[in-house]
Amino acid sequence: MKLLAKVGALLCISVMFSSGHALCDGKNQPSKIKAGAIQVAMIESDETSVPAEFRVALYENLIRQLEKRGFQSVYRDGDRNAASVANLVVLHSTVRRFKRGSEEARQVTTVAGATSISVHCQFTNADGQTLLERDVTGKVRFFGGNLRATYDFAKRASRIAHENLSGADSK
Amino acid sequence: MTFRSTKAFVPVALLAAAIAAANASSQQISKAVKAVQLTGLPGIKENAKGILSVENGNLHFVHGKAISDLSASLIQDVVTGSDSQKAVGKTVGVISTAAPYGGGRFLSLFRSKIDTLTVEYRDADGAFHGAIFTMPVGTAEEIKKELIAQGAHTSSSASADKEQKQ
Repeated sequence: MKLLAKVGALLCISVMFSSGHALCDGKNQPSKIKAGAIQVAMIESDETSVPAEFRVALYENLIRQLEKRGFQSVYRDGDRNAASVANLVVLHSTVRRFKRGSEEARQVTTVAGATSISVHCQFTNADGQTLLERDVTGKVRFFGGNLRATYDFAKRASRIAHENLSGADSK
Repeated sequence: MTFRSTKAFVPVALLAAAIAAANASSQQISKAVKAVQLTGLPGIKENAKGILSVENGNLHFVHGKAISDLSASLIQDVVTGSDSQKAVGKTVGVISTAAPYGGGRFLSLFRSKIDTLTVEYRDADGAFHGAIFTMPVGTAEEIKKELIAQGAHTSSSASADKEQKQ
């Protein structure tokens, strides 16, 4: 009888702890930024010279990856339809560092020839007020052409958007 | 009788030839090149191989049954560049990395030069798009010239493109 009471008490305590922990977890989760839609601005580069094909690949891959992450409405730069959307979040990307590697060097040496891009991503609202800022890098070290670095960047940037904005489906 | 009928046929034949020549020049079809569309054309999947040409004021790309036409007047920028690709195919290239005594690495030394053509344009809603093509070396500049002749804009001159290639 005593044993049963002890087990019962232990169970009660463990249930209380676990529910308390769950509540704490809920409180610690950062609230997501409300995004009705996301618009991707053209890729800028202030000091670094970036070849046109890399700029375009960054932009196109970013749009594709955001759509894959479940964002229902992804607008392109200059799209007139975005003007009327409530809670529009605009993603501005500025290339800070760009190093063009060599696919040949990568495959022959496996240690040299990496291509890397460092991009400053700034999420703003329609009025230009900054909501979130992150530096994101894209690299290609072993397999694939130099443009694969833009795909790597797009995947990372879209993950950040998915984690911090509320407009994406859970994928 | 025969001579007379031949005489009458000559001006008609000349007229028909003139009409045909005028028709051909108004269609303005450039030399078609084999190209790979890396990304950017709506309705065409990535890394699609096809035929690229400039026809009647459009950048025309055909991949199997899929056809994409992009009006040259919508193009805001055309830039050419250069790159290189493995001479040995994708699957074979990857499998060859497992070859003994660095055989795969040796194969990756064989590379072919290619041209890149980057096109930036805006659609009817004003949305910005970009498309990238790769094609045999020496052909991108011809396509670019043809596009500019038919109304496309460019921010870089041929010399600037050459500098970028270097």
